[in-house]
Amino acid sequence: MTGSETATNDARADEELAVHLDGITKRFPGVVANDDVDLRVERGSVHALLGENGAGKTTLMNVLYGLYEPTEGRVLVDGTERSFDRPRDAIDAGVGMIHQHFMLVETMTVAENIALGNEPRKWGGLAVDRGRIDREVRDLCDRYGFDVDLSATVAELSVGARQRVEILKALYRGADVLIFDEPTAVLTPQEVEDLYGVFEELTERGKTIVFITHKLGEAMHAADGVTVLRDGRAVASVEPAETTREELAELMVGREVLLEADSDPVETGDPVLSAANVTVEDDRGVEAVSGIDLEVRAGEVFGIAGVDGNGQSELIEAITGLRTPDGGTVRFDGEDVTDWSRRRRIEGGMAHVPEDRHEQGLVMPFDLVENAVLGSQRSARFARSGRIDWADVRDHAEDVIGTYDVRPPDADAHAESLSGGNQQKFVVGRELERDPELAVATHPTRGVDIGSTEFIHERLLDLRREGKAVLVVSSNLDEVQALSDRLAVIYEGEFVAVTDPDDVTEEELGLLMAGERPDERTQPARAGSADAGGER
Amino acid sequence: MREDLERLLERLVHASVLERVAISFAALLAAILLGGVLVFVSGAFATCRSGLDLAGATFCYNPMQVYYELFLGALGHPLEGGWELHNYNLATTLRQTTLLIFAGLSVAVAFRAGLFNIGTQGQLVVGGLTTAVTVLFAASYLPSGFVGTVLLVPIGVLAGAVGGGFYGAIPGALKAYAGANEVITTIMLNFIAVGVTSTLLSWRFQDPASDNPQTRAVPEYAEIPNLPLVGFSPRMNFSLLALGFAIALIVGIAWLLARTAFGYELRTTGVQPAAAAYGGVDEKRMTVASMTLSGALGGIGGAFWVLMEHGRWLENVPDLGFDGIAVSILAGNNPLGVGFAAFLFGVLDSGSNSINTATDVPPELVGVLSGTIILFVAMPEFFRMIGRRYVDLEDSVPARSTGGEADD
Repeated sequence: MTGSETATNDARADEELAVHLDGITKRFPGVVANDDVDLRVERGSVHALLGENGAGKTTLMNVLYGLYEPTEGRVLVDGTERSFDRPRDAIDAGVGMIHQHFMLVETMTVAENIALGNEPRKWGGLAVDRGRIDREVRDLCDRYGFDVDLSATVAELSVGARQRVEILKALYRGADVLIFDEPTAVLTPQEVEDLYGVFEELTERGKTIVFITHKLGEAMHAADGVTVLRDGRAVASVEPAETTREELAELMVGREVLLEADSDPVETGDPVLSAANVTVEDDRGVEAVSGIDLEVRAGEVFGIAGVDGNGQSELIEAITGLRTPDGGTVRFDGEDVTDWSRRRRIEGGMAHVPEDRHEQGLVMPFDLVENAVLGSQRSARFARSGRIDWADVRDHAEDVIGTYDVRPPDADAHAESLSGGNQQKFVVGRELERDPELAVATHPTRGVDIGSTEFIHERLLDLRREGKAVLVVSSNLDEVQALSDRLAVIYEGEFVAVTDPDDVTEEELGLLMAGERPDERTQPARAGSADAGGER
Repeated sequence: MREDLERLLERLVHASVLERVAISFAALLAAILLGGVLVFVSGAFATCRSGLDLAGATFCYNPMQVYYELFLGALGHPLEGGWELHNYNLATTLRQTTLLIFAGLSVAVAFRAGLFNIGTQGQLVVGGLTTAVTVLFAASYLPSGFVGTVLLVPIGVLAGAVGGGFYGAIPGALKAYAGANEVITTIMLNFIAVGVTSTLLSWRFQDPASDNPQTRAVPEYAEIPNLPLVGFSPRMNFSLLALGFAIALIVGIAWLLARTAFGYELRTTGVQPAAAAYGGVDEKRMTVASMTLSGALGGIGGAFWVLMEHGRWLENVPDLGFDGIAVSILAGNNPLGVGFAAFLFGVLDSGSNSINTATDVPPELVGVLSGTIILFVAMPEFFRMIGRRYVDLEDSVPARSTGGEADD
């Protein structure tokens, strides 16, 4: 264990460790993903595995979970050396994994999902003993204080509830060690808090938790111990109380990192984008945006903060031309663009980092060359009389890959083979290198490691410095606060406040996002629509 | 067991081009073996005067002879004395190949845009009639002879494309602007095409000199010309020029899909409509445009059926459009593959005729035989298609969550 100041007391008996990975090395053809990594996790503790995209966190956990066989090293669970050929062996040894992308059958009920693959039988194995499933799962819920409707189908559940079903599934299979892969990536801030509560419940009852994260705040806040991975090596093992965010960031990245993007004031110019009284309905015909006014000036970053599902997606779609607003006007560069097609807006200089990179931002089965031209396939830059100049596009793809540190640096790689963070980097790179007048970025750094986050923030601020307009939507408060010159908080389709981000605290923003208006300290009397997220 | 299967599937997905060709040939061999056994055993249940007496039963059919007819018969028995390249059987094979290329391309283009066009048959029927009527009409205003050929053939093909394109645009527009599923509408439009064309025929275009439901014959100089010296005899109803045009169209469509902005937009819409919309593609217009293109290709098929095979439009149109679906699937919806798949279908078609004339094997059994061959040859590609999804899924579990770890 290199560079570990607060090394775990080696004298402590191995039996106290729920998980002990001893000198794990995992080689893939051409690469070493894990290089002599040690990991010690005490029973009943929460341990964070911190590192950037590609540091080897998930590979290490896949070794522990039996998905990969280590090239070298030993895996000890509860002090006994184990060799897992497949996840089943790990489950039998009491190791469970909660994946980032949930492995649930949407059309089946919660109880059925939990028991799937381990159904108790009756009538000599001929039928599933549903009564017993219900009883056992209810017991589990009671013991850990979970409030889940067992007869609901998974399709009806929110993301946070689905995650709890995954946890229950692992517990039902008798897991004592629970591995979480980026558990907060898909959760709202409120759900994240709930998850920390679940962590506490679990550890109090003797379970051990290992979670993978690239977010410093989470590791500091939720973990009892942190192991930092960088380039496949464990560079440190520390306790959060004895370290600082800056120190952890440096360990992760290997150099000093500016956690606050610095945004010195810039002269703002004319409004580039203005929306007046925009009303948008969502797919179900429910009003998602109710009469929003907004103005983004040249040389300004305008931020929108809000819990997902409060109309920000629909607002952005109306601005970028992916959805027709049901009322109001959108003006871009002084022209009324409300009726402009998406293509015309792209050609007019609107760049857009979409919310959903899997569905919109990238064509998954295409390689990065083909993806580099998405949106510009008819632009004079790449197309001559309807013919695409693929050599030119390839150069462009390689530029983006190099500049934004997309890994693996292979333009022929298919988009679907890239990890989420690298997909995001590619999309951001493609859009920001369009030389836009207006950049609309939704969750620009979701899933991206801090080194690249810093770079993306810098590029957004560069645009602002060049006198371009930037609109950023994010549920990450640190991000919008650090980047924005002006910040709007959206709640149930309306801006509840537009402020200077330096004038509000994170707590105040949190309250605004939860629907509390600055002038009244009570819940707004508006009848909550059936909107997702509306009840939060 | 399961692991072995997974390994096998992964091997298949990552097979090189050479391996894939080898696999296809192995599949063909396996189909021939199985079909041979089938034919041989079926012979025991037939009655015949002479056959192979074995174990108390008489086996009437000789599988070797059947295959000889199927494959070499399709080429006109090249190993027998007096063989000429320009024989009737080969002409039939290549004629069928040519027509199926158009039909296969029609289905493939729609497939690549994410649309299942079952309506190629109807588009071909409508395109064919449009061609016949247009050429008959135009011929009265144009000179005959060489000039007539040069003018009338392009006019006829264009008319077929327009007629088929229009008939393909209908389900396209219905899908784009009314949300009607194109599978349902194209199937229904196939019936409507038959009804409408036969009504039109009896209303105005029926050949008065014939009792058959057919139009008058177009002038001979308006048919697809045969090449001098290397071409087939006009009696064989096949022109190398038509095959050349079909091959040029294959290359053109492949180029369109791979190199142009329109092709890029079409393919993007086909695999991920949300990404296409994000990239500035108007999905509705793309749906109409790709169905129109698909219909136009089907219509060209109809035009060549009229101008090459019969010199007139007949009410009884063969199922070229439906075979086009099979051709396209066999080709993995790849334009270049359509050429080879169409040739295989051409061989099976012409070879079946040959079996029927030369042996006592019933046509039904010949149908089973060619079906077996198509099934076997299509299966490896089919499993690759399935396997690719599966293997990607396997790969992506670690890759997607690792953050681009070394394993990819």
